[in-house]
Amino acid sequence: MPGVKLSNGVVINFDGSARTLLDALERKQLEVNFHCREGYCGACRCKLVSGEVSYINEPLAFVRKGEFLPCCSVPVTDIEIEIP
Amino acid sequence: MAYTTFNRQINDQMKEPMFFGNPVNVSRYDQQKYGIFEKLIEKQLSFFWRPEEVDVSKDRIDYQNLPDHEKHIFISNLKYQTLLDSVQGRSPNVAFLPIVSLPELETWIETWAFSETIHSRSYTHIVRNISAEPHKVFDDIMLNEKILERAEDVTRYYDDLIDGINLYQRCGEGTHSINGETHSISLYELKRRLYLCVMSVNVLEAIRFYVSFACSFAFAERELMEGNAKIIRLIARDEALHLTGTQHMLNIMAAGDDDADMAKIAKECEEEAYAIFRKAAEQEKDWAEYLFKDGSMIGLNKDILCQYVEYITNSRMQAIGMKAIFSTTQNPIPWINTWLVSDNVQVAPQEAEISSYLVGQIDNEVDGGDFGDFDL
Ligand code: FES
Ligand SMILES: [Fe+2]
Ligand SMILES: [Fe+2]
Repeated sequence: MPGVKLSNGVVINFDGSARTLLDALERKQLEVNFHCREGYCGACRCKLVSGEVSYINEPLAFVRKGEFLPCCSVPVTDIEIEIP
Repeated sequence: MAYTTFNRQINDQMKEPMFFGNPVNVSRYDQQKYGIFEKLIEKQLSFFWRPEEVDVSKDRIDYQNLPDHEKHIFISNLKYQTLLDSVQGRSPNVAFLPIVSLPELETWIETWAFSETIHSRSYTHIVRNISAEPHKVFDDIMLNEKILERAEDVTRYYDDLIDGINLYQRCGEGTHSINGETHSISLYELKRRLYLCVMSVNVLEAIRFYVSFACSFAFAERELMEGNAKIIRLIARDEALHLTGTQHMLNIMAAGDDDADMAKIAKECEEEAYAIFRKAAEQEKDWAEYLFKDGSMIGLNKDILCQYVEYITNSRMQAIGMKAIFSTTQNPIPWINTWLVSDNVQVAPQEAEISSYLVGQIDNEVDGGDFGDFDL
């Protein structure tokens, strides 16, 4: 069960009950920006400090190095992220 | 250098840059230098919609009951959007097609512009329904100071580029005397105009619609003008894709992957890029002021809307590697996001309700009893 570490030190377990990282973050009442929730708008962009994610659907949005889209991804390893 | 509709030169399209290489010849998609544009085309086609599918008949009664200051908000936004889509329905074609060198990008540009024409047609659909004199609404666009001011800024970079391309394709690089006037153009200067134009379109797609979107959704939160909101949701979905398209173009240019000049130009134009974002954000804030000059609407006022402009400007700038220019870090109207969710994804049962009325053939008059003991 990969852990998702936030910049404030809090760790969330991604136990598979959430479909995506965005869903998992929202369940913890974290406010992440989003629009499409489908990987094409880029509004949910967050920083991926360490670890690896995989995409459920290949995103169309432009993703810069060191960033990822939580709306359409799940963690593969423990990850450390920053929500803007 | 002259444009040709079917370039006879046998070339390897995989080696062409996005722009200013050989003109395109065979429209083929079996090989793609930048597969992303083909994916954007597919997505845009999957989004296809017709304004006539959306039932806006209830909006007429809602509109008649709006107080005058809210009528002003509603109709002004519609006029502004009409201007933006008039420009976007033609300009990507006129400006970019004569200089594009990749078939997948050429087709993306055409698909993109086509979807903007659907937006334009949807405004007529909306206006015809709420007003017995639609011509008055459209006629005013050409007379309205506030809108014309904006027209100047959304068209300037397109017009500069188009003007340069005309000269270059007719006469080539150098200084030319035409009808007694001297004009000069270089390929480098043209590339600079191209970069600034794409940046300015990126800003248009990124920021310029959102004040208007926010107002439409604020009406709909009060269950007013819901037909309009359905249409705006469909438009917003398209605009998000267009923005992704311009962001990819800017990224490829800045990386200098296919044209080293473009990377250099991106650096040289950095300050101007900041200025384009800043100016657009200021204009949108002015627009919010104009909208609310006679009074605010429930759930929105000028300050909230200005903060939203700042918030969204920052996020659009950061998306392409620029620094935020405003101190706002929080979205002051987080409820807007729910209206911007793509209808293809249903994350929660309550969202099914929103997606079910996206297309008007589906009965949207559902009363509470229809749900029975349906538990949310
Ligand atoms: S919300 Fe649109 S890409 Fe994630
Ligand atoms: Fe549009
Ligand atoms: Fe657009």
